[in-house]
Amino acid sequence: MSLFSEIFVWWHGQTMGTRFYTWRKGKLMGTDDQGNKYYQASDGASIGGYVRRWAIYNGDAEASRVPPEWHGWLHHTVDVTPDESGYRVKPWEKPHRANLTGTPLAYRPSGSILAEGVRPAATGDYEAWKPE
Amino acid sequence: MPKLVVDGVEVEVEPGTTLIQACEAAGSEIPRFCYHERLSIAGNCRMCLVEVEKSPKPVASCAMPAGEGMVVHTNSPLVKRAREGVMEFLLINHPLDCPICDQGGECDLQDQSMAYGVDGSRFHENKRAVEEKYMGPLVKTVMTRCIHCTRCIRFTTEVAGISELGAIGRGEDMEITTYLEKALSSELSANVVDLCPVGALTFRPTAFSARPWEYKKTESIDVMDAVGSNIRVDSRGAEVMRILPRTNDDVNEEWISDKTRFVVDGLKTQRLDTPYVRENGKLRAATWDEAFAAIAAKVKAAKPERMAAIAGDLACAESMKALKDLFDKLGSANIDCRQDGAKIGGKGRAAYLFNSTIAGIESADALLIVGSDPRKEAPVLNARILKRWNQGHFRVGLVGEKRDLTYPYDYLGAGASTLGDLVAGKHDFLEVLKGAKNPMIIVGQGALTQKNGAAILAAALKIAELANAVREDWNGFNVLHTAASRVAGLDLGFLPGEGGRDVEAILEGASKGDVDFVYLLGADEIDTARLGSAFVVYQGSHGDMGAHRADVILPGAAYTEKNGTYVNTEGRVQFGRRAIFPMGEAREDWTIIRALSAVLGQTLPYDSLNALRDAMAAALPHFDAVDMIVPAHDLPSVSDADLAALGDDTSPFAVPVKDFYLTNPVARASRVMALCSAEFGAAPAQAAE
Amino acid sequence: MSVRRLSPNQPASFAFTPENLAWAKKEIAKYPAGREASAIISLLWQAQKQEGWVSEPAIRVIGDMLDMPYIRALEIATFYTMFNLAPVGEHYVQLCGTTPCWLRGADELKEVCRKHIGPEGHVSADGKLSWLEVECLGACVNAPMVQIGDDFYEDLDASKLETILTKLRNGEQVEPGPQSARHSSEPLGGLTSLTGTLQPAAGDK
Repeated sequence: MSLFSEIFVWWHGQTMGTRFYTWRKGKLMGTDDQGNKYYQASDGASIGGYVRRWAIYNGDAEASRVPPEWHGWLHHTVDVTPDESGYRVKPWEKPHRANLTGTPLAYRPSGSILAEGVRPAATGDYEAWKPE
Repeated sequence: MPKLVVDGVEVEVEPGTTLIQACEAAGSEIPRFCYHERLSIAGNCRMCLVEVEKSPKPVASCAMPAGEGMVVHTNSPLVKRAREGVMEFLLINHPLDCPICDQGGECDLQDQSMAYGVDGSRFHENKRAVEEKYMGPLVKTVMTRCIHCTRCIRFTTEVAGISELGAIGRGEDMEITTYLEKALSSELSANVVDLCPVGALTFRPTAFSARPWEYKKTESIDVMDAVGSNIRVDSRGAEVMRILPRTNDDVNEEWISDKTRFVVDGLKTQRLDTPYVRENGKLRAATWDEAFAAIAAKVKAAKPERMAAIAGDLACAESMKALKDLFDKLGSANIDCRQDGAKIGGKGRAAYLFNSTIAGIESADALLIVGSDPRKEAPVLNARILKRWNQGHFRVGLVGEKRDLTYPYDYLGAGASTLGDLVAGKHDFLEVLKGAKNPMIIVGQGALTQKNGAAILAAALKIAELANAVREDWNGFNVLHTAASRVAGLDLGFLPGEGGRDVEAILEGASKGDVDFVYLLGADEIDTARLGSAFVVYQGSHGDMGAHRADVILPGAAYTEKNGTYVNTEGRVQFGRRAIFPMGEAREDWTIIRALSAVLGQTLPYDSLNALRDAMAAALPHFDAVDMIVPAHDLPSVSDADLAALGDDTSPFAVPVKDFYLTNPVARASRVMALCSAEFGAAPAQAAE
Repeated sequence: MSVRRLSPNQPASFAFTPENLAWAKKEIAKYPAGREASAIISLLWQAQKQEGWVSEPAIRVIGDMLDMPYIRALEIATFYTMFNLAPVGEHYVQLCGTTPCWLRGADELKEVCRKHIGPEGHVSADGKLSWLEVECLGACVNAPMVQIGDDFYEDLDASKLETILTKLRNGEQVEPGPQSARHSSEPLGGLTSLTGTLQPAAGDK
């Protein structure tokens, strides 16, 4: 992404302000499979007693893209990054799927009038008799 | 007559009245779970505790007779505390799963816990859990919710007459079940669901489909049998969701049969929703105009004496009246409402009514049943006979096929010859009838559909005469019908006119080519193969036998979709009301005939339902006496010539209801009824006790 | 004890022996016509005496004999705890676990039963023994006690019960009653009152 478009487009990756702050204070702690970068304040700046940690997304700024192992670190559930703790992705963990709400692929419960395919049963339905 | 004071109100009650009834009479409502007016008193829920002065502790008002000079308090702090204690105990083992419970919203426990429930529980142990019990295809059980009121046990034993439900185990481990989880074999089994004060017994076919507050409630009349049970049709949107009984002490008390209740899913399948016209041997969907034009062409071509009409078992009085008037105008006398060929009607109204009335059964003291199986033909009426039998000093005799009627009876014989013996005084049951104060005779369609049905009717009348069963103050001669439309049809004279053909002759004529045009008003129980090459118009709500044979199909309304008048077997005129609109292009039946009459150039003289009803009432005043009985006193006298055809046939009378669950087009379209039929099958002949 | 359900393993059929049948008919005849159902408990008990337990076919046979619905007979059979709804051993041990017996060491007796017979409610492999803890049998003076078959065995301890069970298993004779030195429920250490001879009171002739 060009530096120029970053001035106007904040929903991709980062704003200019974040870039500047990250350059000044950010200590890169690691990168996940999707290329999201995780930073920690190098001067130990803290919020509510916790060292400030943040992520710069590789692309869409969408919180659900943070994988569980990094989520734990980002939220101070664990102290060490997955890289340091040697975290291995379990074979049963599914790959990340983007949040589909608001898109045509969004989940519709059965009976939703927005669901496609078979029309759900409705009150007043009846089976008409057909000859033969 | 004990006098007592309830909450400061003085009431005087009959001796033997319970305290709970006395409190109701004084206007104080008593909460209860196990007590039910129509069942015996169990006194095991303890919810109806009241304070009686000079009594050391609260008393269960359902089990305490009202006594002279009692001073009762039903809303004192003591009473409230006592009931809260009872409620806390009841809730100890109740799962409180109201959000997923079908009873939610109409649950006695839920309602009463609003008044007497405490906000928390002091019970820290494990709640008990009970396995589900199988009780057949109609009753769904969640026995963990059961509070052991035993209403269901008492109902099945006392009202339904089948001792199949019981409580096994004891104490906390008491469980309600059938013997080894057999299905309940009663035709009234689903009434236990109405009685269940909690959600332990719910309706299996309609489980999890709606909440009680979503229903539109329409008070209507049932057409599954000729009892005319009072029902409430619960609909949501354009769909009938369920049918519940309405209390009417004169007819069905507060019970209805399983068929009445669970036929609802039949109202949604096999529906005729558009007119059809047969072209080149194939039925094709058509418009009303096309269908009427096709009929008009045939009617114009046919001679009046070569036209015929048959009314089915579910037809309302209005449609029969309209069809009869139309055929009168066309000049045809070939009309009949007796699909089964019963030899009845035309001889006076009293000769085809249930004259004693259903409530009157309770004052009878001897009963002769001729060619009928009331348990299958009219389960609710049979419950009334059982109620009378339970009161004692009541003898029942049966002529016909041996069936389990839920009460013991004297088996007199199978057929006409036994009846002849009775008339001749050769059978001692005649003495029983003679000795009775109010003897009763019920003649069923099984006897009247016999070839010598007229003679059998005469013989029954003769027996009534011999037993002095027909007096000023008592009429013990009764005909039990099986079709909801029958009495109205007979009243209206939907019978062959002079030189007219009856059903048998119509079919005979059609198969021989003597009848060219047959109008079937919902008539499906005839042998359609015998209609030969006649042009058949079928008007009805369901695609059954008649529709398959028809050349023109006119889609009509089912009984929940029209305002119709029905006359039950007692001659009681009752209004069925529309709960939902007819399906698709279908119309209310009388309007179809009215519209057709205009196309045929024989316009009928009524444009509204009220005008039609006025026309009916003008001809037959008892159609104005809605919900009431207009007694008929015109029993024909019997001559020996009438009895001559009785013969000495020992073969048993026919069984009109072969499969209780599949007697009409609506029931045959119902999956639930098919399921029941598979579970219980056609009724087997059973030995009497 | 109170969860009383039919055993999953049921025999194919049940029939009274001719003697028991005759006895049952006599029992039924005690009640007026139409009230035959009153004999249900006697008949179920006789069936239990004959088979050791009340089986499902027995309930049906007796229901038919008394012309009563099966469910009513089942209700009775499942209500009363003295009807065994599952097979029991040849010697059926009912061990009292209510407070007096419990205080006097019923728990030890239970251990013995577990060791010698097996888990509660199960018949031992040789079919000789089975045991069940029951509520008070009314012999608290001689606690702890067990009932085996029709007889009480009182003043027990672990070793005494062990001996009894071993003997029963081997088919040996065991004397019922108190297993201590005392007679009946007299004091253990001999009489402390009424020790003298009976003297006629003054005035008595």
